[in-house]
Amino acid sequence: MTNQPLADNPNTSGQEWDPKILVFACQYCTYAGADLAGLSRLQYPTTTRVIRVPCSGRTNPQFVIRAFQKGFDGVLVAGCHPGDCHFATGNYFTRRRYLLMTRLMEFVGMDPRRFRVCWISGSEGPKFQQVVTELTDAIRPLGPNQKLRDIEPSVIGGISR
Amino acid sequence: MNENIIQVPDKSGISKIMREIAGDLLRQQTISLVIGWEKGILPNKSAPAFITQSQDAEKLIFDEYCYHNLTKYLLQRKGSGLKTAIFVKGCDSRSLVGLIQDNQIAREDICIIGISCPGLMEERNIVIPAKKCEICYTSVPVEYDFLIDCPETKTANDEPGGSYAHRELPRVENMTLDQRNIYWQKMFENCIRCYACRNTCPVCSCKECCFDQANPTWLGKGNSTSDNGFYHLVRAMHVAGRCVGCGECERVCPMNLPVMLLNNKLSLSIEELFDEPPASLSLDVTATLNHFKPDDPEEFM
Ligand code: SF4
Ligand code: SF4
Ligand code: SF4
Repeated sequence: MTNQPLADNPNTSGQEWDPKILVFACQYCTYAGADLAGLSRLQYPTTTRVIRVPCSGRTNPQFVIRAFQKGFDGVLVAGCHPGDCHFATGNYFTRRRYLLMTRLMEFVGMDPRRFRVCWISGSEGPKFQQVVTELTDAIRPLGPNQKLRDIEPSVIGGISR
Repeated sequence: MNENIIQVPDKSGISKIMREIAGDLLRQQTISLVIGWEKGILPNKSAPAFITQSQDAEKLIFDEYCYHNLTKYLLQRKGSGLKTAIFVKGCDSRSLVGLIQDNQIAREDICIIGISCPGLMEERNIVIPAKKCEICYTSVPVEYDFLIDCPETKTANDEPGGSYAHRELPRVENMTLDQRNIYWQKMFENCIRCYACRNTCPVCSCKECCFDQANPTWLGKGNSTSDNGFYHLVRAMHVAGRCVGCGECERVCPMNLPVMLLNNKLSLSIEELFDEPPASLSLDVTATLNHFKPDDPEEFM
C-alpha cells in the first residue's frame, strides 16, 4: 500500500460530487459479472474502482478498513453466491466473517450504507450495474466519508475522475 | 478429563495443594516446568512464577490477586517437545482450549492444573471484586488434568456474551450512529498504541503480528487516530470467535480504555447470529470463523 490518497477533493468544484467506490470482486463470479456489464455496454458510475481477488474469502477485513482510511467513500465486497464458489466453500467463510464485520463497522459509527457485501455471479452483469449504482446513489447524500479516514479531504488531490 | 479432583476446605487451602501437586510432578520428572503464581514484590500484586526445582514449589500461591492468565507463556515452549504444567483459573482454561484449537500447543505437552476459582479482588480497592470477576462465565475450568475444587467457587453467570463488558454494551448500542462514532473516535484518540492489550491477549498467538510486519506495512509508526482505529478494528476481527472474554486487554490498558467492548460486541453477535456457544468451552469444536454452516443467516443476496 502506498500513502497516496485515492480520493478526489469533493470541495473544490461546484460540480455534483460522485462518491468513490471500491469493489473487491471475486475473480470467478463478480469480476466476470463486471466484465459482462462492460461487454453489454451497461452504464455504471465511473467513480467505481474494481480490485480482483481470487475469492471473496481473500478479502481480508483489513483491506476494507484500509480503503476507508485512504479515502474511499464506500466499499463493496462481492463474490459468488453460496454454493457456487470456485473453491467450494470460500464464500461461506466470507459470509460468516462479514456478517460480523458489518456489525462491527456499524458499532463504531460507520454508516451501514457505505459498506456492502453482495453475491454477484458471472452471468449477473445487470446486477453488478444495479448494485454499484445503488451504492453510489445511497452514498451521494451522505457526502465524503470522514470516519476512520487518515487524511483530511480538503488537503488531498488523489486520482482524478 | 479424569478423576483427579482434590477438594479443599476453603480458599486458603488452595496454595498448599498447589505446592504438593507441583512438587510431585517435578519430582517424578515427567514435566520440566511449572507455571503458577508467587507473591509479588508490590502489595496486592501476585506475579507469574516459573518453577523448575521441586523445592521451589513452596513459592507457589493462590490469592485474590492472581490476575495473570499464564497460558500465553506456553507459546515460548512451542516446538521444544518439553512438557509443562500450568495452573489455570476458570477463565484461563478457556484460553488454553483456544490455543489448543488453534494448534498453538499440543494437549499432550501440557498438564493442566485447574483451580475452581473463588474470584479475585480489585488491586486498588481490595474489598470489591475485580472487574473481570463481576460477571464470571466459567469459574470452573473447562479442561484439566487435576482440579483443585474449592467450596467458595464463584457462581458462574450464564448471561450471553460471556463477560462483564456486555453490561456496558447496551449503552453504546443505543447511541445514534454519530454519537457512537464520537465515542470511539475519542477512544482511538486516547489510545497510545502501546500494544499492551494485544500482547496480553491469550488468543493473540501469531509469531509475527500483522501490526509489526514491515512488508506490507499495515500501520504507521506515528500515533494517528486513523491508524489507532485500524488497529482496534483489526484486532477485534482477528480475535473474533476466539476471544474468551477474560478481560485482560482492558485490565492492562494504561489509558483505561474500553478495549474489550469491541470484542464483546462481536462475541454477542456471534451468539445471536450463529447460535453456537463460545468455541473455547470445548475442545471438540473449532473457532467460529474457522467453520461454517450452509444455512448460516443470509443478508447478502
Ligand atoms: S473471571 Fe471467574 S474464573 Fe476468572 S478470575 Fe474471575 S472469578 Fe475466577
Ligand atoms: S480480546 Fe481481551 S477479553 Fe478477549 S481473549 Fe483477548 S485479552 Fe481476553
Ligand atoms: S492497552 Fe490501551 S493504550 Fe495500549 S494499545 Fe491497547 S487500547 Fe491502546
